[in-house]
Amino acid sequence: MPVFKTPFNGYAVRFSPFYEGRLLVATSQNFGILGNGRLHVLDIDPASGAIAEIRSFETADGIYDCAWSESHDSLAIAAVADGSVKLWDASLPPTANPVRSLHEHSREVHSTDWNPVRRDSFLTASWDDSVKLWTLDRPSSVRTFREHSYCVYAATWSPRHADVFASASGDRTARVWDVRDPRSTLVLPAHDHEILSCDWNKYDECSLATASVDKSVRVWDVRVPRAPVANLAGHGYAVRKVKFSPHRESILLSCSYDMTVCMWDYRAEDALIARYDHHTEFVVGVDMSVLVEGLLASTGWDELVYVWQHGTDPRAMP
Amino acid sequence: METAINRQRVLLQHLQPPSSSSNDPSMLSASICAAGDSAAYQRSSCFGDDVVVVAAYRTPLCKSKRGGFKDTYPEDLLAAVLKALLDKTKLNPNEVGDIVVGTVLAPGSQRANECRMAAFYAGFPETVPVRTVNRQCSSGLQAVADVAASIKAGFYDIGIGAGLESMTANSVAWEGSINPKVNTLQKAQDCLLPMGITSENVAHRYGVTRKEQDQAAVESHRRAAAATASGKFKDEIIPVTTKIVDPKTGEEKQVTISIDDGIRPETSLSGLAKLKPVFKKDGSTTAGNSSQVSDGAGAVLLIRRDVATQKGFPILGVFRSFAAVGVDPSVMGVGPAVAIPAAVKSAGLQIEDIDLFELNEAFASQFVYCCKKLELDPAKVNVNGGAIALGHPLGATGARCVGTLLNEMKRRGKDCRFGVVTMCIGSGMGAAAVFERGDGVDELRNARKIQSQNLLSKDVR
Repeated sequence: MPVFKTPFNGYAVRFSPFYEGRLLVATSQNFGILGNGRLHVLDIDPASGAIAEIRSFETADGIYDCAWSESHDSLAIAAVADGSVKLWDASLPPTANPVRSLHEHSREVHSTDWNPVRRDSFLTASWDDSVKLWTLDRPSSVRTFREHSYCVYAATWSPRHADVFASASGDRTARVWDVRDPRSTLVLPAHDHEILSCDWNKYDECSLATASVDKSVRVWDVRVPRAPVANLAGHGYAVRKVKFSPHRESILLSCSYDMTVCMWDYRAEDALIARYDHHTEFVVGVDMSVLVEGLLASTGWDELVYVWQHGTDPRAMP
Repeated sequence: METAINRQRVLLQHLQPPSSSSNDPSMLSASICAAGDSAAYQRSSCFGDDVVVVAAYRTPLCKSKRGGFKDTYPEDLLAAVLKALLDKTKLNPNEVGDIVVGTVLAPGSQRANECRMAAFYAGFPETVPVRTVNRQCSSGLQAVADVAASIKAGFYDIGIGAGLESMTANSVAWEGSINPKVNTLQKAQDCLLPMGITSENVAHRYGVTRKEQDQAAVESHRRAAAATASGKFKDEIIPVTTKIVDPKTGEEKQVTISIDDGIRPETSLSGLAKLKPVFKKDGSTTAGNSSQVSDGAGAVLLIRRDVATQKGFPILGVFRSFAAVGVDPSVMGVGPAVAIPAAVKSAGLQIEDIDLFELNEAFASQFVYCCKKLELDPAKVNVNGGAIALGHPLGATGARCVGTLLNEMKRRGKDCRFGVVTMCIGSGMGAAAVFERGDGVDELRNARKIQSQNLLSKDVR
């Protein structure tokens, strides 16, 4: 399957919700420690299977995360390490971009997520311990959620409720929020170590997954927060990102500092379905295509973006 | 700068192993990476348990039956290089765990005995064991790989991989009758094809022209002659003092052989074009564009890195990976085209990462095909000539190539980081091994000088 070499270290990858073969990739120079960032818009040629770059946009600091707009097929957000959030229109040339630059976070913005239900707003989570809610029509954030006591690594919208989202933080808690309430509705001390990622089940509105430095992925029922529904052990280092499958209720995908991507079925006794060790450095970004079942993408610090069908070897050339 | 340090701190927290870290937060820390930012990282040396090459020497390669070693016993060739290894490195022979010798044509048990005797002549004590290995033309490389594998397995820390062939003493022959069953299976039958015919098959099947082959032969001689003239082989050749018998008078003379005698600097395209094909009437493989039939020996000293460092040996190269593969016996020459990608992949590298190749020129046909197939840069392949000019003493070639490769890498400096030794193998196989230059990861000399320690990549200004 196709491979794309990025000039900088990969940080995040996202499939377009509008086009089957379109990808957004966020990268940062020097492992995101110091240097520039670049956002790539990539297309997979359906005939040859090769990945080609449509556009790329440069930023003055590394890009840690990116997300496609759910309302406009060419609009994308980048979470930039200098604390800014930038909106890009992939149909416009780099000179006409970014179309918006929102600077409110005081530290690195680590994650961003577009509201998939109402489609008019997006969240950003930052190392300044806060989560912010933004809409396209306003120049400043609509709300700021401050409760976490350390870096917030992720904020993810519920796929069912237009106002509900979850956040994951280095303060070892995951929190569930309703944007209409000033305080979080649930504090989930999900792990004994930093929590780096969280994601909602697309088929079960109460099911939330968390990924932690303790090497595990846990699946929770937010109505019964006392104990996890499942504890998925198998990664050798901190789990950087976790995603629920858009097609199968019990399937999750995770990537880790142990340089592997793992697929899990949290209902099965042998939960680990597949382990992909195609990367040669930390794997930092993964995604599953909504439009093509089983199509996976990953990127990492080895400066490579892989797109492959589940069950095939990501390194195999077409 | 403060931001960068804070970012590093946040990311390093992610790597603290949960169980043990709480009481020892200093376990993981950032360190400078010796590799270039885009280079493949050295992944195995952190415990000092990878296998390094400390020295590699060879005898001159001489034309069999006519050249400098026509009256030399095979074991004397091997003894000469083994002794040189001890003398030049000041290695204590008692510490050697095993001597593995790649050798092809001689009868198995007799040659095993000869090798054991060679070890005694070279000054090894009775406590050091010796064995032979035969993977046809890659036997020398297989011996090196076997020693590296044994060191990795923990069987011993110091070993010698060697190769020996006297094609004067032993020639290609089949003993006994051929099993008639061979006619029932094409692949088995193809194993009996003379090597020259397989070369014709390669040329025919993959469209390698006579001109391309002759050009490759001319280039091989030109490069080998240039390398000899500029003294490049002096680092690897051990002069051998032996006797030579005048065929006419029967007079015995003591001589010291110190250069390869098969190189013909005056070789030209027009000269080669006059030669007749040897194996097929309308073929393209001639005596001029095939490897020479030679006598010679080579030896490579391999040591586990921490032991080598402790004993103060210089590190010439690092053994990174080895792969042997099978191909169609009727076109056995294509072996390297399959073996190189396999070995390079298992080293975690890409072919573009390789800076130098020693691709054995069994025949110009297969040499040209493999280079074309893998799109190898001619400026990186056999820069000091190959078997067409130097000769191909079957069992010794692998060990010879390791020495030639590593010495050239040493001369080329830091820009030449990875090298490959590879050859095709009779009966349809290929072998390849990846070596890394020894100092590539030991010191930071290939990195820009760091003015002040900022724990960041060298590219950060």
